[in-house]
Amino acid sequence: MGSLSVVEAVTVDRLVAWLSAFRDAVHEHGAYLTELDSAIGDADHGANLIRGMDAVMAAVEPPPGNAGDLLKKVGMTLVTSVGGASGPLYGTFFLRAATAVGDATVLDGPALLTALRAGLEGIVARGKAEAGDKTMYDALAPAMGAFEEALASGVEPAVAARTAADAAAAGRDATEPMLALKGRASYLGERSVGHVDPGAASSALLLAALADTLES
Amino acid sequence: MIGIVVVSHSLALAEAAVALADEMVHGEGPVVAVAAGAAGGFGTDATEVRRAMEKAASPDGVLVLMDLGSAVLSAELALELGPPSEHAVRLTAAPMVEGLVAAVVRAAGGADLETVAREAEAALLPKVVSLAEHTPLPALVAVEADVSARLMLVNPQGLHARPAAQIATAVGGLSAEVAVESGGRRADASSSLELMTLGAGQGTEITVSAVGADAEQAVAAVREMVEAGFGELEAS
Repeated sequence: MGSLSVVEAVTVDRLVAWLSAFRDAVHEHGAYLTELDSAIGDADHGANLIRGMDAVMAAVEPPPGNAGDLLKKVGMTLVTSVGGASGPLYGTFFLRAATAVGDATVLDGPALLTALRAGLEGIVARGKAEAGDKTMYDALAPAMGAFEEALASGVEPAVAARTAADAAAAGRDATEPMLALKGRASYLGERSVGHVDPGAASSALLLAALADTLES
Repeated sequence: MIGIVVVSHSLALAEAAVALADEMVHGEGPVVAVAAGAAGGFGTDATEVRRAMEKAASPDGVLVLMDLGSAVLSAELALELGPPSEHAVRLTAAPMVEGLVAAVVRAAGGADLETVAREAEAALLPKVVSLAEHTPLPALVAVEADVSARLMLVNPQGLHARPAAQIATAVGGLSAEVAVESGGRRADASSSLELMTLGAGQGTEITVSAVGADAEQAVAAVREMVEAGFGELEAS
Protein backbone atom coordinates (compact mmCIF):
# COMPACT_ATOMS: atom_id res chain seq x y z
CA MET A 1 0.00 0.00 0.00
CA GLY A 2 1.54 3.35 -0.98
CA SER A 3 0.96 6.86 0.24
CA LEU A 4 -2.54 7.50 1.50
CA SER A 5 -2.72 10.88 -0.18
CA VAL A 6 -2.22 9.75 -3.79
CA VAL A 7 -5.87 9.42 -4.77
CA GLU A 8 -7.97 12.52 -4.33
CA ALA A 9 -10.35 11.86 -7.16
CA VAL A 10 -11.49 8.61 -8.71
CA THR A 11 -11.14 8.26 -12.48
CA VAL A 12 -12.82 5.70 -14.70
CA ASP A 13 -9.54 3.76 -14.83
CA ARG A 14 -9.46 3.74 -11.03
CA LEU A 15 -13.02 2.38 -10.95
CA VAL A 16 -11.95 -0.37 -13.35
CA ALA A 17 -9.02 -1.13 -11.02
CA TRP A 18 -11.52 -1.41 -8.14
CA LEU A 19 -13.64 -3.88 -10.12
CA SER A 20 -10.52 -5.82 -11.02
CA ALA A 21 -9.49 -5.97 -7.36
CA PHE A 22 -12.99 -7.19 -6.45
CA ARG A 23 -12.75 -9.83 -9.18
CA ASP A 24 -9.42 -11.00 -7.71
CA ALA A 25 -10.95 -11.03 -4.22
CA VAL A 26 -13.92 -13.20 -5.20
CA HIS A 27 -11.51 -15.60 -6.91
CA GLU A 28 -9.31 -15.70 -3.82
CA HIS A 29 -12.22 -16.05 -1.40
CA GLY A 30 -14.66 -17.88 -3.67
CA ALA A 31 -14.38 -21.15 -1.78
CA TYR A 32 -14.99 -19.32 1.50
CA LEU A 33 -18.07 -17.53 0.10
CA THR A 34 -19.44 -20.80 -1.22
CA GLU A 35 -18.74 -22.50 2.10
CA LEU A 36 -20.72 -19.79 3.91
CA ASP A 37 -23.50 -20.22 1.37
CA SER A 38 -23.51 -24.01 1.75
CA ALA A 39 -24.23 -23.52 5.45
CA ILE A 40 -27.32 -21.38 4.95
CA GLY A 41 -28.05 -21.20 1.22
CA ASP A 42 -27.60 -23.01 -2.06
CA ALA A 43 -23.81 -23.14 -2.09
CA ASP A 44 -23.24 -21.06 -5.17
CA HIS A 45 -22.39 -17.55 -3.99
CA GLY A 46 -18.66 -17.81 -4.64
CA ALA A 47 -19.08 -19.48 -8.01
CA ASN A 48 -21.80 -16.99 -9.02
CA LEU A 49 -19.68 -13.95 -8.20
CA ILE A 50 -16.61 -15.39 -9.88
CA ARG A 51 -18.65 -15.98 -13.04
CA GLY A 52 -20.21 -12.53 -12.75
CA MET A 53 -17.00 -10.60 -12.14
CA ASP A 54 -15.13 -12.49 -14.87
CA ALA A 55 -17.94 -11.47 -17.24
CA VAL A 56 -17.75 -7.89 -15.96
CA MET A 57 -14.02 -7.58 -16.58
CA ALA A 58 -14.48 -8.92 -20.12
CA ALA A 59 -17.35 -6.48 -20.72
CA VAL A 60 -15.48 -3.35 -19.57
CA GLU A 61 -12.53 -3.91 -21.87
CA PRO A 62 -12.00 -1.34 -23.34
CA PRO A 63 -13.50 0.79 -20.55
CA PRO A 64 -16.46 3.07 -21.43
CA GLY A 65 -15.67 6.78 -21.47
CA ASN A 66 -17.47 7.84 -18.30
CA ALA A 67 -18.31 6.48 -14.87
CA GLY A 68 -22.04 6.16 -15.53
CA ASP A 69 -21.57 4.05 -18.67
CA LEU A 70 -19.00 1.92 -16.88
CA LEU A 71 -21.16 1.23 -13.83
CA LYS A 72 -24.23 0.59 -16.00
CA LYS A 73 -22.30 -1.99 -17.99
CA VAL A 74 -21.18 -3.61 -14.74
CA GLY A 75 -24.77 -3.74 -13.46
CA MET A 76 -26.24 -5.20 -16.64
CA THR A 77 -23.47 -7.77 -16.91
CA LEU A 78 -24.03 -8.94 -13.33
CA VAL A 79 -27.78 -9.18 -13.93
CA THR A 80 -27.30 -11.48 -16.90
CA SER A 81 -24.40 -13.58 -15.63
CA VAL A 82 -24.80 -14.16 -11.88
CA GLY A 83 -28.08 -16.07 -11.69
CA GLY A 84 -28.71 -16.14 -7.94
CA ALA A 85 -30.23 -13.35 -5.86
CA SER A 86 -26.89 -11.56 -5.88
CA GLY A 87 -27.39 -10.93 -9.64
CA PRO A 88 -30.35 -8.56 -9.31
CA LEU A 89 -29.04 -7.18 -6.00
CA TYR A 90 -25.48 -6.35 -7.06
CA GLY A 91 -26.88 -5.48 -10.49
CA THR A 92 -29.25 -2.95 -8.95
CA PHE A 93 -26.41 -1.59 -6.78
CA PHE A 94 -24.30 -0.75 -9.83
CA LEU A 95 -27.22 0.41 -12.01
CA ARG A 96 -28.37 2.88 -9.36
CA ALA A 97 -24.79 4.03 -8.78
CA ALA A 98 -24.51 4.56 -12.55
CA THR A 99 -27.58 6.78 -12.57
CA ALA A 100 -26.18 8.77 -9.63
CA VAL A 101 -22.82 9.55 -11.29
CA GLY A 102 -24.20 10.22 -14.78
CA ASP A 103 -21.57 11.13 -17.34
CA ALA A 104 -18.91 12.19 -14.83
CA THR A 105 -15.40 11.04 -15.72
CA VAL A 106 -13.88 11.82 -12.32
CA LEU A 107 -15.51 11.34 -8.91
CA ASP A 108 -14.41 13.16 -5.80
CA GLY A 109 -15.12 11.74 -2.34
CA PRO A 110 -18.67 13.10 -2.00
CA ALA A 111 -19.57 11.97 -5.55
CA LEU A 112 -18.28 8.49 -4.79
CA LEU A 113 -20.29 8.42 -1.56
CA THR A 114 -23.41 9.56 -3.42
CA ALA A 115 -22.96 6.75 -5.93
CA LEU A 116 -22.44 4.09 -3.26
CA ARG A 117 -25.41 5.39 -1.26
CA ALA A 118 -27.64 5.30 -4.35
CA GLY A 119 -26.50 1.71 -4.88
CA LEU A 120 -27.36 0.79 -1.31
CA GLU A 121 -30.77 2.45 -1.60
CA GLY A 122 -31.37 0.36 -4.71
CA ILE A 123 -30.55 -2.82 -2.80
CA VAL A 124 -32.96 -1.81 -0.05
CA ALA A 125 -35.70 -1.08 -2.59
CA ARG A 126 -35.06 -4.40 -4.33
CA GLY A 127 -34.57 -6.72 -1.38
CA LYS A 128 -36.67 -4.89 1.25
CA ALA A 129 -33.91 -5.73 3.73
CA GLU A 130 -33.63 -3.94 7.04
CA ALA A 131 -30.82 -3.76 9.56
CA GLY A 132 -30.44 -7.07 11.35
CA ASP A 133 -32.07 -9.23 8.67
CA LYS A 134 -28.70 -10.95 8.10
CA THR A 135 -28.08 -9.72 4.56
CA MET A 136 -25.56 -7.68 2.56
CA TYR A 137 -27.31 -4.60 3.96
CA ASP A 138 -25.77 -5.34 7.36
CA ALA A 139 -22.28 -4.86 5.89
CA LEU A 140 -23.05 -2.09 3.39
CA ALA A 141 -25.14 0.22 5.58
CA PRO A 142 -22.54 0.70 8.35
CA ALA A 143 -19.90 1.10 5.64
CA MET A 144 -21.79 4.00 4.04
CA GLY A 145 -22.28 5.61 7.43
CA ALA A 146 -18.57 5.33 8.21
CA PHE A 147 -17.60 6.61 4.75
CA GLU A 148 -19.82 9.67 5.17
CA GLU A 149 -18.57 10.41 8.68
CA ALA A 150 -14.94 10.09 7.61
CA LEU A 151 -15.40 12.40 4.62
CA ALA A 152 -17.13 14.93 6.85
CA SER A 153 -14.09 14.90 9.13
CA GLY A 154 -12.02 16.03 6.15
CA VAL A 155 -9.94 12.96 5.35
CA GLU A 156 -8.95 11.78 1.84
CA PRO A 157 -11.31 9.43 -0.04
CA ALA A 158 -8.78 6.61 0.41
CA VAL A 159 -8.87 6.98 4.19
CA ALA A 160 -12.64 7.20 4.18
CA ALA A 161 -12.81 4.06 2.04
CA ARG A 162 -10.60 2.18 4.51
CA THR A 163 -12.85 3.27 7.37
CA ALA A 164 -15.83 2.08 5.34
CA ALA A 165 -14.14 -1.26 4.59
CA ASP A 166 -13.45 -1.78 8.31
CA ALA A 167 -17.08 -0.98 9.13
CA ALA A 168 -18.24 -3.43 6.45
CA ALA A 169 -16.02 -6.15 7.92
CA ALA A 170 -17.44 -5.49 11.39
CA GLY A 171 -20.94 -5.54 9.92
CA ARG A 172 -20.18 -8.84 8.20
CA ASP A 173 -18.98 -10.39 11.47
CA ALA A 174 -22.06 -9.09 13.25
CA THR A 175 -24.28 -11.18 10.95
CA GLU A 176 -23.00 -14.41 12.51
CA PRO A 177 -25.37 -14.56 15.50
CA MET A 178 -28.31 -13.14 13.51
CA LEU A 179 -31.42 -15.04 12.50
CA ALA A 180 -31.89 -14.75 8.73
CA LEU A 181 -35.11 -12.96 7.84
CA LYS A 182 -34.62 -12.49 4.09
CA GLY A 183 -33.57 -14.66 1.19
CA ARG A 184 -33.15 -18.40 0.91
CA ALA A 185 -31.44 -18.56 4.32
CA SER A 186 -34.71 -17.48 5.96
CA TYR A 187 -36.16 -20.91 5.15
CA LEU A 188 -33.67 -22.32 7.66
CA GLY A 189 -35.00 -20.29 10.60
CA GLU A 190 -32.93 -20.92 13.76
CA ARG A 191 -30.41 -22.99 11.79
CA SER A 192 -29.19 -19.80 10.12
CA VAL A 193 -27.84 -18.57 13.45
CA GLY A 194 -24.08 -19.07 13.92
CA HIS A 195 -23.08 -18.52 10.29
CA VAL A 196 -21.78 -15.37 8.63
CA ASP A 197 -24.06 -14.19 5.82
CA PRO A 198 -22.44 -14.82 2.41
CA GLY A 199 -23.81 -11.60 0.91
CA ALA A 200 -22.46 -9.56 3.81
CA ALA A 201 -19.11 -11.29 3.33
CA SER A 202 -18.91 -10.48 -0.39
CA SER A 203 -20.04 -6.91 0.31
CA ALA A 204 -17.16 -6.53 2.76
CA LEU A 205 -14.82 -7.74 -0.02
CA LEU A 206 -16.25 -5.08 -2.36
CA LEU A 207 -15.47 -2.31 0.14
CA ALA A 208 -12.04 -3.76 0.97
CA ALA A 209 -11.25 -3.81 -2.76
CA LEU A 210 -12.25 -0.16 -3.00
CA ALA A 211 -9.99 0.80 -0.08
CA ASP A 212 -7.07 -1.20 -1.49
CA THR A 213 -7.51 0.44 -4.89
CA LEU A 214 -7.66 3.98 -3.57
CA GLU A 215 -4.61 3.42 -1.37
CA SER A 216 -2.45 2.00 -4.13
CA MET B 1 -56.62 -11.82 -23.88
CA ILE B 2 -53.95 -11.17 -21.25
CA GLY B 3 -50.40 -12.46 -21.67
CA ILE B 4 -48.59 -14.55 -19.07
CA VAL B 5 -44.91 -14.72 -18.07
CA VAL B 6 -43.34 -17.54 -16.06
CA VAL B 7 -40.09 -16.74 -14.25
CA SER B 8 -38.30 -19.77 -12.88
CA HIS B 9 -34.84 -20.78 -11.70
CA SER B 10 -35.13 -23.82 -13.95
CA LEU B 11 -36.00 -23.95 -17.66
CA ALA B 12 -37.14 -27.58 -17.33
CA LEU B 13 -39.44 -26.65 -14.44
CA ALA B 14 -40.94 -23.70 -16.31
CA GLU B 15 -41.48 -25.59 -19.55
CA ALA B 16 -43.11 -28.51 -17.77
CA ALA B 17 -45.39 -26.18 -15.83
CA VAL B 18 -46.43 -24.48 -19.08
CA ALA B 19 -47.08 -27.85 -20.76
CA LEU B 20 -49.18 -28.93 -17.80
CA ALA B 21 -51.25 -25.76 -17.93
CA ASP B 22 -51.65 -26.03 -21.73
CA GLU B 23 -53.38 -29.38 -21.24
CA MET B 24 -56.30 -27.43 -19.80
CA VAL B 25 -56.78 -25.24 -22.85
CA HIS B 26 -58.70 -26.41 -25.87
CA GLY B 27 -58.64 -23.83 -28.59
CA GLU B 28 -56.90 -20.51 -28.38
CA GLY B 29 -54.97 -19.85 -25.19
CA PRO B 30 -52.91 -16.94 -23.91
CA VAL B 31 -49.32 -16.26 -24.93
CA VAL B 32 -47.15 -17.75 -22.18
CA ALA B 33 -43.54 -16.56 -22.31
CA VAL B 34 -40.85 -18.20 -20.19
CA ALA B 35 -37.79 -16.60 -18.60
CA ALA B 36 -35.89 -19.33 -16.81
CA GLY B 37 -32.34 -20.21 -15.86
CA ALA B 38 -29.29 -17.96 -16.06
CA ALA B 39 -25.82 -18.38 -17.48
CA GLY B 40 -26.69 -21.95 -18.49
CA GLY B 41 -27.67 -23.08 -14.98
CA PHE B 42 -30.23 -22.49 -12.26
CA GLY B 43 -31.04 -18.84 -11.73
CA THR B 44 -32.97 -15.92 -13.12
CA ASP B 45 -31.90 -13.13 -15.45
CA ALA B 46 -33.77 -9.82 -15.32
CA THR B 47 -32.97 -9.05 -18.98
CA GLU B 48 -34.57 -12.37 -19.99
CA VAL B 49 -37.59 -11.52 -17.84
CA ARG B 50 -37.85 -8.18 -19.61
CA ARG B 51 -37.78 -9.91 -23.01
CA ALA B 52 -40.47 -12.35 -21.87
CA MET B 53 -42.64 -9.43 -20.68
CA GLU B 54 -42.30 -7.87 -24.12
CA LYS B 55 -43.09 -11.15 -25.88
CA ALA B 56 -46.25 -11.64 -23.80
CA ALA B 57 -47.26 -7.97 -24.03
CA SER B 58 -50.98 -7.42 -24.57
CA PRO B 59 -53.27 -4.39 -24.34
CA ASP B 60 -55.18 -6.45 -21.77
CA GLY B 61 -52.09 -6.67 -19.56
CA VAL B 62 -49.53 -9.24 -18.50
CA LEU B 63 -49.52 -11.47 -15.43
CA VAL B 64 -46.11 -12.61 -14.14
CA LEU B 65 -45.75 -15.78 -12.05
CA MET B 66 -42.47 -16.56 -10.26
CA ASP B 67 -40.92 -19.39 -8.28
CA LEU B 68 -38.32 -18.81 -5.51
CA GLY B 69 -37.40 -15.44 -4.02
CA SER B 70 -34.74 -14.18 -6.40
CA ALA B 71 -37.12 -14.72 -9.31
CA VAL B 72 -39.16 -11.97 -7.66
CA LEU B 73 -36.09 -9.72 -7.47
CA SER B 74 -35.34 -10.30 -11.15
CA ALA B 75 -38.96 -9.65 -12.17
CA GLU B 76 -39.04 -6.40 -10.20
CA LEU B 77 -35.73 -5.32 -11.71
CA ALA B 78 -37.04 -6.22 -15.18
CA LEU B 79 -39.77 -3.59 -14.77
CA GLU B 80 -37.04 -0.96 -14.33
CA LEU B 81 -34.99 -2.02 -17.35
CA GLY B 82 -36.10 0.22 -20.17
CA PRO B 83 -39.17 2.45 -20.40
CA PRO B 84 -42.30 1.58 -18.40
CA SER B 85 -44.63 -0.82 -20.19
CA GLU B 86 -47.57 0.78 -22.02
CA HIS B 87 -49.82 -1.92 -20.63
CA ALA B 88 -50.35 -3.19 -17.10
CA VAL B 89 -47.77 -5.71 -15.93
CA ARG B 90 -48.70 -7.39 -12.68
CA LEU B 91 -46.44 -9.56 -10.55
CA THR B 92 -48.47 -12.10 -8.62
CA ALA B 93 -47.71 -13.98 -5.41
CA ALA B 94 -49.62 -16.97 -6.81
CA PRO B 95 -47.96 -20.38 -6.42
CA MET B 96 -46.25 -21.05 -9.73
CA VAL B 97 -47.74 -24.39 -10.77
CA GLU B 98 -51.25 -24.13 -9.36
CA GLY B 99 -51.41 -20.45 -10.20
CA LEU B 100 -50.29 -20.97 -13.77
CA VAL B 101 -52.93 -23.63 -14.40
CA ALA B 102 -55.64 -21.38 -13.00
CA ALA B 103 -54.32 -18.34 -14.85
CA VAL B 104 -54.07 -20.02 -18.25
CA VAL B 105 -57.61 -21.38 -17.95
CA ARG B 106 -59.10 -18.07 -16.91
CA ALA B 107 -57.08 -16.06 -19.43
CA ALA B 108 -58.18 -18.40 -22.24
CA GLY B 109 -61.75 -17.69 -21.16
CA GLY B 110 -61.18 -14.00 -21.72
CA ALA B 111 -61.05 -12.92 -18.07
CA ASP B 112 -59.41 -9.56 -17.35
CA LEU B 113 -56.05 -9.15 -15.62
CA GLU B 114 -57.59 -8.44 -12.22
CA THR B 115 -59.73 -11.56 -12.33
CA VAL B 116 -56.97 -13.82 -13.62
CA ALA B 117 -54.61 -12.55 -10.92
CA ARG B 118 -57.21 -13.17 -8.22
CA GLU B 119 -57.90 -16.68 -9.45
CA ALA B 120 -54.19 -17.49 -9.65
CA GLU B 121 -53.64 -16.21 -6.14
CA ALA B 122 -56.51 -18.34 -4.84
CA ALA B 123 -55.18 -21.42 -6.58
CA LEU B 124 -53.72 -22.95 -3.43
CA LEU B 125 -57.14 -23.02 -1.84
CA PRO B 126 -58.36 -26.38 -3.13
CA LYS B 127 -55.23 -28.04 -1.72
CA VAL B 128 -55.45 -26.15 1.54
CA VAL B 129 -59.09 -27.05 1.97
CA SER B 130 -58.68 -30.70 1.11
CA LEU B 131 -55.78 -31.11 3.52
CA ALA B 132 -57.62 -29.16 6.20
CA GLU B 133 -60.49 -31.67 6.19
CA HIS B 134 -58.64 -33.79 8.73
CA THR B 135 -58.77 -31.04 11.31
CA PRO B 136 -61.92 -29.32 12.51
CA LEU B 137 -62.41 -25.90 10.96
CA PRO B 138 -62.67 -22.97 13.32
CA ALA B 139 -66.27 -22.10 13.97
CA LEU B 140 -67.65 -19.60 11.52
CA VAL B 141 -67.45 -16.13 12.92
CA ALA B 142 -70.96 -14.85 13.32
CA VAL B 143 -71.17 -11.84 11.06
CA GLU B 144 -74.31 -9.78 11.30
CA ALA B 145 -75.48 -10.01 7.71
CA ASP B 146 -77.65 -7.26 6.30
CA VAL B 147 -79.45 -9.77 4.11
CA SER B 148 -79.30 -13.53 3.91
CA ALA B 149 -81.15 -16.38 2.28
CA ARG B 150 -81.14 -20.17 2.47
CA LEU B 151 -81.27 -21.70 -0.98
CA MET B 152 -81.35 -25.20 -2.43
CA LEU B 153 -79.07 -26.03 -5.35
CA VAL B 154 -81.34 -27.55 -7.98
CA ASN B 155 -79.01 -27.82 -10.96
CA PRO B 156 -77.48 -31.25 -11.61
CA GLN B 157 -73.83 -30.40 -10.91
CA GLY B 158 -74.20 -27.98 -8.02
CA LEU B 159 -71.52 -25.30 -7.59
CA HIS B 160 -69.06 -26.52 -10.20
CA ALA B 161 -66.81 -24.23 -12.17
CA ARG B 162 -69.32 -22.48 -14.41
CA PRO B 163 -72.00 -21.66 -11.82
CA ALA B 164 -69.28 -20.62 -9.39
CA ALA B 165 -67.87 -18.25 -11.99
CA GLN B 166 -71.39 -16.91 -12.67
CA ILE B 167 -71.90 -16.08 -9.01
CA ALA B 168 -68.41 -14.58 -8.67
CA THR B 169 -68.97 -12.40 -11.72
CA ALA B 170 -72.42 -11.27 -10.59
CA VAL B 171 -71.38 -10.23 -7.08
CA GLY B 172 -67.88 -9.08 -7.99
CA GLY B 173 -69.14 -5.77 -9.38
CA LEU B 174 -71.44 -4.98 -6.46
CA SER B 175 -70.72 -2.91 -3.40
CA ALA B 176 -71.23 -5.74 -0.93
CA GLU B 177 -69.30 -8.44 0.93
CA VAL B 178 -71.06 -11.63 -0.06
CA ALA B 179 -70.47 -15.03 1.51
CA VAL B 180 -71.79 -18.47 0.70
CA GLU B 181 -71.87 -21.07 3.48
CA SER B 182 -72.30 -24.78 3.10
CA GLY B 183 -71.36 -27.75 5.27
CA GLY B 184 -69.71 -25.58 7.92
CA ARG B 185 -67.50 -23.73 5.44
CA ARG B 186 -67.69 -20.19 4.27
CA ALA B 187 -66.57 -18.99 0.85
CA ASP B 188 -66.13 -15.50 -0.52
CA ALA B 189 -68.76 -15.36 -3.27
CA SER B 190 -66.55 -13.17 -5.44
CA SER B 191 -64.03 -16.03 -5.78
CA SER B 192 -65.15 -18.88 -7.97
CA LEU B 193 -62.32 -21.04 -6.64
CA GLU B 194 -63.44 -20.56 -3.06
CA LEU B 195 -67.01 -21.37 -4.08
CA MET B 196 -65.83 -24.57 -5.76
CA THR B 197 -64.00 -25.69 -2.63
CA LEU B 198 -67.36 -25.83 -0.83
CA GLY B 199 -68.02 -28.98 -2.84
CA ALA B 200 -71.74 -28.19 -2.83
CA GLY B 201 -73.60 -30.61 -5.10
CA GLN B 202 -77.22 -30.92 -6.25
CA GLY B 203 -79.70 -30.86 -3.39
CA THR B 204 -77.30 -29.06 -1.05
CA GLU B 205 -78.65 -26.19 0.97
CA ILE B 206 -76.49 -23.09 0.96
CA THR B 207 -76.73 -19.85 2.90
CA VAL B 208 -76.01 -16.65 1.04
CA SER B 209 -75.36 -13.60 3.19
CA ALA B 210 -74.29 -10.11 2.33
CA VAL B 211 -73.19 -6.91 4.02
CA GLY B 212 -72.99 -3.54 2.32
CA ALA B 213 -74.91 -1.05 0.22
CA ASP B 214 -75.79 -3.57 -2.48
CA ALA B 215 -76.42 -6.46 -0.06
CA GLU B 216 -80.03 -6.91 -1.04
CA GLN B 217 -79.27 -6.80 -4.75
CA ALA B 218 -76.43 -9.31 -4.32
CA VAL B 219 -78.52 -11.88 -2.47
CA ALA B 220 -81.36 -11.42 -4.95
CA ALA B 221 -78.97 -11.99 -7.87
CA VAL B 222 -77.61 -15.20 -6.35
CA ARG B 223 -81.12 -16.38 -5.49
CA GLU B 224 -82.26 -15.85 -9.06
CA MET B 225 -79.32 -17.79 -10.50
CA VAL B 226 -79.65 -20.65 -8.02
CA GLU B 227 -83.39 -20.98 -8.51
CA ALA B 228 -82.97 -20.92 -12.27
CA GLY B 229 -80.45 -23.74 -11.96
CA PHE B 230 -77.78 -21.52 -13.53
CA GLY B 231 -79.46 -22.00 -16.89
CA GLU B 232 -78.74 -25.72 -16.78
CA LEU B 233 -82.25 -27.00 -16.13
CA GLU B 234 -83.58 -26.81 -19.68
CA ALA B 235 -80.55 -28.69 -20.95
CA SER B 236 -80.84 -31.56 -18.48
